[in-house]
Amino acid sequence: MGALNELAVSTAKKLGVDDAVALTSQGNERMVRFANNSLTVTKYTKETALYVYLGKDRRRIVAATSNPDESSVRTFVKKLFDSLQSLPKGSDYASLPEKARHYKPREEGYDRKIEAVGTELSELAGEAIESARKNGGERSAGALVASVTASSILTSSGTSGRDRGASITLNIRSFSQNDASGHGLSCASKLSGFDPVEAGKRAGENAKKMVDAKEPEAGEYEVLMSPTVASNLVDLIGGFSSAFSVEAGISYLVDKLGKKVASESFSLSDHGRMNGALDGRVFDDEGIPTRTTPIIRDGVLENYLHNLTTAKKSGKVSTGNAGTISPHPWNLEVGRGDSSYDEMVKSMKRGVILTSNWYTRFKNYRTGEFSTVPRDGAYLVEDGRITQGLKGLRVSDSLERIFSSTRLISKNREWIEWWEVDTPTLCPWVLVDGVKITRAYE
Amino acid sequence: MKLEELKDLADYAIGQARSAGASYAEARIHGASGNESLLKNGEPEPAVLVESFGIGVRVLAKGALGFSATNSLDRRSVKQLTVGTVKMAKSAGALLKKPLVFDASKPVKKKWKAEEKQKIEGGDVKWLGSLLREIDGRLTIEEVGVKLPGRFLTAEASLEEKYYVNSDGARVESRVPRVHFFGILTALENGETAQRMIQQGESGGLEVVERLDLVKRVEREAKTLGEVLRKATKPPEGTIDVVLSPELSGIAAHESVGHPQEADRILGREGAQAGESYLKRDSLGLKIGSTEANVSDDPTLLNSNGFSPVDDEGVEGKKRRLIQDGYIREFLQNRSTAAELEVTSNGASRSVAFNREPIIRMSNTFVEPGEYTLDEILKEVKLGVYFSSFTEWNIDDKRLNQRYVGLEAYLVEGGELKGLVKAPVLEITTPKLWGSVKARSRRMEFEAATCGKGDPMQGIPVWTGGPDTLLSGIKLGSR
Repeated sequence: MGALNELAVSTAKKLGVDDAVALTSQGNERMVRFANNSLTVTKYTKETALYVYLGKDRRRIVAATSNPDESSVRTFVKKLFDSLQSLPKGSDYASLPEKARHYKPREEGYDRKIEAVGTELSELAGEAIESARKNGGERSAGALVASVTASSILTSSGTSGRDRGASITLNIRSFSQNDASGHGLSCASKLSGFDPVEAGKRAGENAKKMVDAKEPEAGEYEVLMSPTVASNLVDLIGGFSSAFSVEAGISYLVDKLGKKVASESFSLSDHGRMNGALDGRVFDDEGIPTRTTPIIRDGVLENYLHNLTTAKKSGKVSTGNAGTISPHPWNLEVGRGDSSYDEMVKSMKRGVILTSNWYTRFKNYRTGEFSTVPRDGAYLVEDGRITQGLKGLRVSDSLERIFSSTRLISKNREWIEWWEVDTPTLCPWVLVDGVKITRAYE
Repeated sequence: MKLEELKDLADYAIGQARSAGASYAEARIHGASGNESLLKNGEPEPAVLVESFGIGVRVLAKGALGFSATNSLDRRSVKQLTVGTVKMAKSAGALLKKPLVFDASKPVKKKWKAEEKQKIEGGDVKWLGSLLREIDGRLTIEEVGVKLPGRFLTAEASLEEKYYVNSDGARVESRVPRVHFFGILTALENGETAQRMIQQGESGGLEVVERLDLVKRVEREAKTLGEVLRKATKPPEGTIDVVLSPELSGIAAHESVGHPQEADRILGREGAQAGESYLKRDSLGLKIGSTEANVSDDPTLLNSNGFSPVDDEGVEGKKRRLIQDGYIREFLQNRSTAAELEVTSNGASRSVAFNREPIIRMSNTFVEPGEYTLDEILKEVKLGVYFSSFTEWNIDDKRLNQRYVGLEAYLVEGGELKGLVKAPVLEITTPKLWGSVKARSRRMEFEAATCGKGDPMQGIPVWTGGPDTLLSGIKLGSR
């Protein structure tokens, strides 16, 4: 990887660029997918990609090639340089820092055992399915993924480094009679923390409890969001906290720095490097060290996530969140609360517990008005007791109102990353007042 | 990198897979290259170039399906990958409850390409950037009538090339250039905002830009946002008629007809991700709509965003009548679902990249045209709402409970279009929606969309479309 970066940056410097970054990544991913308790496909992908950024005379260009080799990199960079020179000058330009940094890969937190996982994936998937079956999930579908990545960076100012990461995740959904369904996840950065049996158990139990589910009355409810549901919304807040989204007007956090955007009990941070996290790197795509950035502290919006360009425009420093073009969160963490799950349920007068959701879409990113569709285990709570499974409902509200009406947050948190949550998120249960629930008209 | 240079690797992979014990093997060399420009509030963001070639190999071994992919395009890597894929499939052991089989679809031998008048290679970042600046220039003029503090625009010219072979004798080579535009406009007036996402795209060369009339189209959308902010009033309540524009007809066709009629969902394969379906394996012939409910999916439409006349299993694609005269007529099939359901594949298996397995996808899904004009349809409406465009939308994972929130929407009273109404909400079940169709207009329009499905996720280009569609007796909500 280092040789490719060296070749790309030296070629760019010879061509006379002001700034250049070469970032090579190698990924290995193994996946077992299943449905109806049976294997549907095994997958293995092994890929190398080279990302190159060039800047000159306030012109900027980025490129990705998935076929980097020594013979093609020079041609690739020359082509990129020719394209760069054809561009108009922009007013947004930030040079790379002159001071060179050198990064070593994280030793702690990287589990070599995940590298070695191979045919055992089918056995682990089988354990999850069996656990779901024992707990009421007659048939299960899901995906078990073991993934390992290695990255290497070199910039024209001499910054260099390597890093690596590994994770193993399971998404299992079980079905019972009457299309009742339940959902379970296990997401870990270490094989020892991976628990397919518990994930299967949750999916099976929820499917069983949903067999007699009914449609609710539309109206306002207290809503207790599981870590899976809350992290879907928190992931979106992470994206909205990117200074790029704010500048483009596609964020409800525009003009809210220093203002209250959530209840005092709600805090959200981004971590570039964090023990136990499922993602992250010690450097970002511009070679800046990653770090912990408080986004919302005690309900107040404290920071946007920046790269060098967005930081310069707003008189800030980069938060080490540079992606190819736009700053993005690495791993999100919602601050721990002080309630237990049982205490939260007992405190509810007339509410709904949601364990999973999908298809969150916005009416207007600028206002944060959205709706999302709960699925799998959803339960009516009356006077602190679960009384009924619910189906056919929809949450229709706004992000700011929901997180400003957060009443309780749990002590326990879980790592969540799955089909509906792109950014790994360490998330608790979150209880919210006055959430609007709607349903379809017949 | 050239497709021609890599073809023998695909043939080599098939041979290696069969030698390793695969009963079936396919290999796809899949390349994607493209240029993209981005403009944010008039300022250029970094231009983007992408080049990607790789090989995806899929095998059947001991009844288990294995898929692997790499972009290390040398014989040693491909042999290692292919033999590993067969071994991995064989290792499924007790997890495989039911061996997978493919149908006996006729393997296609064909070289095909999308129509291209002006070569896509001319769409460099300079050309794309100029196009975006021209569009943005029209958004800041006084005639637009509203301030647009948020203007995020992207334009992309891309080329997808594939060479596909399988052990049943299929051999398919394809070339699909595409032009794609995406924008999010945010209008601000008296402290209120309105937002419009615009997505347009077709297969074809640079002539697509003129066909789409992008500059005027985006300017018109901007003006409409101002009108919505200034003039929209509360929509009528109660049970009324609703007229869906081609944009709304298309999204409804895609979400509540196309998706639930994907046979892999019906058979449970996507259960943990995109979900299953309200339809079951024996639902063909079920009455789900009125006699006016007619919805199709057609991969052969020229210039379409979802143009895919041969699929990624080497099967000829054809028009599929999903709902005909209110009855469920046909599911979208690949070779394994077809074998399971004892039919023949209708060529709906597509993959977005070398590192993604082919799965069942829509191509261009639409409500079939009727025989009326829009004016004739509106004349039938005493009290109703005409949904011209939408913002927020979603649907449950069985595809029964859907919601579309209107952006540009008008009151219809006494057969005439009146003023704009604010954020009407159509939240409705699938049988109710298609059972309420009373009439369709002659005009047909299509919108580009990127449909998400699969694990890992695959966002694939499609069209959604149709005519104006009259729904009667609808309970409307508002946001």
